[in-house]
Amino acid sequence: MCKKGIVPTRCAMAEVFYLDGEAIPFRAGQNVLEAVLAHRQESSIPYFCFHPAMGSLGACRQCGVMVYPHDGKHPPRLTMACLLPASRDLQLGRAEAKVQHEHQLISELLMRNHPHDCPICDEGGQCHLQNMTVASGHAYREYEPEKRRYQSQELGPLIRQEMNRCITCYRCVRFYQDLAGGEDFGVFGSRDRVFFGRLEDGPLESPLAGNLAEVCPTGVFTDKVYHQDYLRPWDLEESAGICPHCSIGCNTRPGAARGRLRRVRQRSHGEINPHFLCDRGRYGFRYVAAEDRPRQAQAGGRRQDVDSVLDRLAARLAEGRSAFLGSPREDLDSNLALFALARVLDAPFAAFFEPWEEAKAREILALPHPPAPARISAYAEILVIGAVDRVAPTLPLFLRAAHDRGAAISLLRCLPSPLTALAGEDRLLPPADLLDAAWDWLGQRHHRPFLLLIDSESVGPELLHLLRREIGTWPDGSGILPVYRQGNLPGASFYAVDGHASRLRTALAGHDYDHLLALGQDPQEMDGPWWRSHGDIDLSLIDHRRSLSWDDAWLTLPCAALSERPGLYYNGEGRLQAAAVAYTPAREERHWRSELGPFPLAAGGALREELLPSPVELCRALAERLGLSERWQERLRFHRDFLLRSEPRPGDPGVFLPAELRARFRLHSAPPPRATDQGWSVCRFSHYSEEELANGARELHSLAPASAAWIAPGQQEARQVRLRAADGTSRTLPLRELPDMAAKVLAIPRAELVFLGLRPGDGVDPEWLD
Amino acid sequence: MSSPTSTAESVPTTLLSRLQQVVEHAGSHPEAAVCDLLRILQAEHGWIDDERLQLVARLCGISPVRVEELCTFYPLVLREDPGRHVLRICDSIACHLAGAPGLLRMAVAQSGVPLGQSNGHYSVLPHVCLGLCERAPAAFVDGKNTVAPLSAEALRQLLQGWERES
Ligand code: SF4
Ligand code: SF4
Ligand code: FES
Ligand code: FES
Repeated sequence: MCKKGIVPTRCAMAEVFYLDGEAIPFRAGQNVLEAVLAHRQESSIPYFCFHPAMGSLGACRQCGVMVYPHDGKHPPRLTMACLLPASRDLQLGRAEAKVQHEHQLISELLMRNHPHDCPICDEGGQCHLQNMTVASGHAYREYEPEKRRYQSQELGPLIRQEMNRCITCYRCVRFYQDLAGGEDFGVFGSRDRVFFGRLEDGPLESPLAGNLAEVCPTGVFTDKVYHQDYLRPWDLEESAGICPHCSIGCNTRPGAARGRLRRVRQRSHGEINPHFLCDRGRYGFRYVAAEDRPRQAQAGGRRQDVDSVLDRLAARLAEGRSAFLGSPREDLDSNLALFALARVLDAPFAAFFEPWEEAKAREILALPHPPAPARISAYAEILVIGAVDRVAPTLPLFLRAAHDRGAAISLLRCLPSPLTALAGEDRLLPPADLLDAAWDWLGQRHHRPFLLLIDSESVGPELLHLLRREIGTWPDGSGILPVYRQGNLPGASFYAVDGHASRLRTALAGHDYDHLLALGQDPQEMDGPWWRSHGDIDLSLIDHRRSLSWDDAWLTLPCAALSERPGLYYNGEGRLQAAAVAYTPAREERHWRSELGPFPLAAGGALREELLPSPVELCRALAERLGLSERWQERLRFHRDFLLRSEPRPGDPGVFLPAELRARFRLHSAPPPRATDQGWSVCRFSHYSEEELANGARELHSLAPASAAWIAPGQQEARQVRLRAADGTSRTLPLRELPDMAAKVLAIPRAELVFLGLRPGDGVDPEWLD
Repeated sequence: MSSPTSTAESVPTTLLSRLQQVVEHAGSHPEAAVCDLLRILQAEHGWIDDERLQLVARLCGISPVRVEELCTFYPLVLREDPGRHVLRICDSIACHLAGAPGLLRMAVAQSGVPLGQSNGHYSVLPHVCLGLCERAPAAFVDGKNTVAPLSAEALRQLLQGWERES
């Protein structure tokens, strides 16, 4: 539309200003730098402190442009593009000598104390400072031999600091404090001695801290996990990924090389993650390199090759006494492949081992089109239920933005929350009271569209059901966005939420079925007491993580990890997104004697692929062995075509689960309410790093606290608590006090809840021990 | 240091209630009391140690990082023990032209430790403009008295006096 040329051409569509004669379109409210960045991939104006999420500061003085006033009275003047509001017909110059000289001088100033350590700096190859310095044309500088030096801090396992590289753009502290609401990081000192860091050494506390590596335009903050497996960024193959670690489905850019996945960075999706990732999304990928990741198939206690194990499994399936279990954290095709296999064998299939979890999934599917995460900031009234910040750690970014725009945020919670600072109304409640409190909130008249943000791990299906039934009576545009830690819950459960879990259990508890083939879900990790009381069921597991039952299972088949295969995932909005294969695992070794161990490719080694089969391939192989290939294929195609009206490709913004397909889940009657008593009850304690897969990421997981039972301070002198499961087994946990949590509530990690067969909100009779 | 430290022993209750009054006075913006609290605590103790930093953070309802940001930004707040006396010599432009660098060198030589460090009895600190430019070079003694202009002789006597005291 707007052509570049010497003679300014007027753009018919948008308002424009002119930079070196080129018409630049802009939107009202944009500044000049912003408009130029939006117009071109590479800005011709160098800059540092401006960041699209944080706006302008005018701190670095790098983005000068010459403004030519139209009044004929004032001479042209140099001004900062990031502080200059874009306005119609503004005449600006960048390419002239005076401006260029200015850019060079500022570069020189910023580089004066900068160490010459680019060859050993992890930022090299993606360094904004390097790019801008080169772009400004600055090459030689004078400096006094003594450079300013800092003692850098040890900031934990995820982020490395090298403070001498700082150019004081203030991006880090603006991100950490203003956007992420972090309290343990700041800017100290003044003049040329400012220091960006913590009060003292120690891991950064914010679940968004990893973004510092991307926000910092130089090598002050770099990715420590990437550093362990470092290769220059230009040596990495990057792809379009989808974060599998929660229901938000942030878009990622995994970077891999030479058979190893080395890092994950953010890939902007305007509706989901415009700028940032949480640390679970950034560092959780390391589960692929977990030391105990299973790589060896076994059957009946003996290690065997995959083909023999498949033979054995197929023979077992042919007996017709097997049930099937899918997984809400596995991709769509893997679930459908297993589902199709169950269908052709006419065997029971469920996506959840727990009927309670299944009922919640049904309610989630029944929700009419939940709003996109990035839309949260547009709501004027928001009710937050549960620990959404622990479940989906990027959400506080949007809530903070909503708060800054004046939104009224109400908070109903059992655990301490960083959202307290944003909430006008903040209630601490036991989980069983959340529903009534939500009801009270709805009872206050709300005239504007509002949003309910629900941590569906803290609540039961009855809450979701009763609230979603009301949606029709709410102001238009209101909605519910549920969050949970499974990356593909709607996709996995679409065909399996009508009492499938109960039927699966009934089948296994009876005499007709004695074998369960589970993909990416370990029944023992879903309901301990039930599983313990049905010890005669043989379990076959297909997974890429060593779950609780792995070592004792009747048969195990390790499969490729999510990033090692393509995948389709439905996020919490019901948006289907595609992830490309991020890498093909391989080992670098001597091609002449591989048994001597790793040997670098660069030194003449060879790459040996170590790719495990995908779940779809395993299902196909089973279907073949059973002589059911064609019927399986047909089934798979049928279920797939029904669900996928159009299929997104990696990098696409995604397609939504059609409304009419969601509608059928609305017919269900209310799940039975649970009895509540006035005594002690349990809620789920979780750390932001926690998620089934991410728990295998060593560096991230090292930040999670040890297992304990947390209670509000001053309630108990005891040092330990014993809780009993219905089957008589018990668990003794150390008691820890947690300020600002609900009274008479024991907050317990998921693994313990499951072992005891407890759900959040269940009443317990704790036995206090010294 | 980011974990709260007990201040029960080191801050007397009368002082604590005075601090609380100051915070109450700030009404719905307790964080506005931060400078006053630091001033009071420094007057009482000579400097702000980690415990006092935590106390101020707690009383003002802000993070210790925020308090430290402030302390390290303002040269009048001391985060290290300066000894019994503090001499601040202005090194901003007017005083610089009127001989402040020479005075600072002298002070370093006489105190035996670099600028900003305590020799056990006192510290000499360079300081930004004290607002006494017309009487440069200016100095600020023990956070109370100004001396302007400060002559080399006056400086020598002042420091000698402090040394004798110890
Ligand atoms: S540490 Fe990085 S982001 Fe922070 S001010 Fe320095 S250069 Fe900017
Ligand atoms: S865990 Fe959730 S919030 Fe974090 S990056 Fe992944 S999808 Fe986004
Ligand atoms: S980007 Fe404009 S002053 Fe830094
Ligand atoms: S320059 Fe020293 S008092 Fe102003």
